[in-house]
Amino acid sequence: MAPGFGLMRRTPSSHVLLVAAREVEQRLRGRTFRIATFVMLIAIAAAIVIPALNNGHKPREIVGVTGTVPTRTRVAIEKTGAAFSAAVDIIGESTVAGARADLRSGRIDLLLIGNTSVELAHTLSKDDSSTKAQLARALALLLGEQRAFAAARLTPVQVSRISHIRPVAIHGLSPARSTGAEQGTSVIGLILLFVMLSQYGTWTLIGVMEEKASRVVEVLLAAVRPTQLLAGKVLGIGTLVFMQATVLVGFALGLAGAVGSDLLKGTAPAVVVATLFWLLLGYAFYSWVFAGAGSMVERQDQVQAIAFPITVPLLVGYVSSITAVSSGHASAYVTTLAYIPFTAPFAMPVLVGLHQATWWEFALSALISVTSTLGMAKAAGIVYRRAVLRTGSRVPWREVLSRPARPRSPGRSPGSPA
Amino acid sequence: MLALIGLTRRFGATLALDGLSFDVPPGRVCGFLGPNGAGKTTTMRAIFGLTDLDAGIVQWNQHPIDLTTRRQFGYMPEERGLYPSMTVGEQVEYFARLHGVPAHAVQAATTQCLERLGIAGYAESKLETLSHGNQQRVQLAVALVHEPDLLVLDEPLAGLDPGGVDSISEVLREEAHRGCTVLLSSHQLDLVEDLCETVTIIDHGRLVVAGDVDDLTTHGARRLVVRVDGDRAGRWAGKLQGAKVSEIDAGAVRLAVDDATDSDAILDAARAAGRVTEFRFERRRLSEVFREALG
Repeated sequence: MAPGFGLMRRTPSSHVLLVAAREVEQRLRGRTFRIATFVMLIAIAAAIVIPALNNGHKPREIVGVTGTVPTRTRVAIEKTGAAFSAAVDIIGESTVAGARADLRSGRIDLLLIGNTSVELAHTLSKDDSSTKAQLARALALLLGEQRAFAAARLTPVQVSRISHIRPVAIHGLSPARSTGAEQGTSVIGLILLFVMLSQYGTWTLIGVMEEKASRVVEVLLAAVRPTQLLAGKVLGIGTLVFMQATVLVGFALGLAGAVGSDLLKGTAPAVVVATLFWLLLGYAFYSWVFAGAGSMVERQDQVQAIAFPITVPLLVGYVSSITAVSSGHASAYVTTLAYIPFTAPFAMPVLVGLHQATWWEFALSALISVTSTLGMAKAAGIVYRRAVLRTGSRVPWREVLSRPARPRSPGRSPGSPA
Repeated sequence: MLALIGLTRRFGATLALDGLSFDVPPGRVCGFLGPNGAGKTTTMRAIFGLTDLDAGIVQWNQHPIDLTTRRQFGYMPEERGLYPSMTVGEQVEYFARLHGVPAHAVQAATTQCLERLGIAGYAESKLETLSHGNQQRVQLAVALVHEPDLLVLDEPLAGLDPGGVDSISEVLREEAHRGCTVLLSSHQLDLVEDLCETVTIIDHGRLVVAGDVDDLTTHGARRLVVRVDGDRAGRWAGKLQGAKVSEIDAGAVRLAVDDATDSDAILDAARAAGRVTEFRFERRRLSEVFREALG
């Protein structure tokens, strides 16, 4: 019989796209995606704006001075303040008693009695590392030097020469370690990677589980191959990953530029690009793992047990990489993780940030990841096909992984035909 | 025509299908019957490639069934399943696309299908908000929207009220009239007798009986239906000789009789028990065919 609608012979890819389009449409409509994106935008904004605000807020120290202060000394005091990222205001005090009263009342922070002593409201403790304490110590040294120069009867030219010492060159034996700003970018990138890979992996797992639990999968598989259904789901959620990552990174770049954040200086842009790249590679790899696992369960209470073994390598990669960023150096262990597909999405961007990866090492790691993803997709397809129509108890890993190509049972429990 | 040839499927120690073979002629509604565990669902899944076979083949118009052919089939599995949070209209449109309905025809096909099943008013409603009966209609819409060549329906009438049974039965008759081959399983044998033109009965994965409903019910021993006023349990028939009680249905005793049976003697026995309110000959019911076939 000729079909009434002149049914189209769709290509396999068009079925994948249909499945992916439904996935995108339904999830974009749901509140979960919008709320998750909003929360991440807030977190990124906080991570960028708060440090930038702190950077922009220079401490201001008011230094009271008794007696006449030579211009040379005034300039030296200001330079000393600048060395500690502090702006220094110098105000003249007419009497020592008045100056001490100002010091006690907090009107001034430090008091220079001529060039003989530096006074503070409270005695300076040895472990005080505040800007005021460091400035006080530096000014004490400065005044001491000036007294020494005077005692040595140095001419102004000689003093000037000594004051304008040009340091000799400093050479490093290996490339520079990352700066605090670069480390900040790496840490934010790692957190985003972990959150997004966990979140979207769980979405994939639960999406597959829900189709199995609602039994819609049996109706779907009557019209679509298991691999098409699985690929559509992975592609659909992957599209959302890309969309969300684009929004987040675009927002982060725009905001960082607007507030003059240090997070995009040095190697930070390379870290951002590497993080985005590995987010996609990491999702491509992990999505198949989560999807295969999702086909083995059909209840929410089974999700945690099946997801835990998958989250362990995610955690290992994340924690090891964060540790490397904090120490400013990647050990051989972390370097090895950068070539293992389960942990490479975390470790390789960190190596980039720490200047510990060449382009070919980066490419090699990516190649290993892509190849492994193809293998994982094939394995997930086999697991999915064997497990997704089996309902009832959770399908054990060993059964779906060790059995030959033919499934043991198409539904319910093994040996229960209907 | 759908042809199942020598289907064999084993699950561990259980032989679910044991060389099962039968045909379903085109443009007919075929009842697919059997006790629980007979292998009906496994057979239906085999038609859609949802279970691997140890042996045998399923053919459509004398060719093995590939995915392209399968997309011209409609399927309603025993365990109903759609997306709970999708609207009815979106759901039916999605499956129409998966089954190859061109994009420009999808909306019209969906609207027409929903109207036909009496659920057009729920097009914008989420599936999970619908009653069981209406969810069942949506499930049928998903199977019908692409005007399939073959409809395979596992218990399509289960859980429906009488009005629902009538309307769904009418739709299935229309589908058969259009030329669609309909294979449906059910345990509601009276409904199957009314709806189906042919039946196939299987047990333990093997074919037991297949044929036209009319042929199966008119062949074999006729039924003599006798009702005695006030005896709803049909106790009076317990003492009869020369006639076997086939069924007792709310006081109506159905006796399997042949040419040698003395119907006058039966009438006398009934009169002796009370006032006779019904006394007529009938052909076998499908339920009686089913029970006799399965021993």
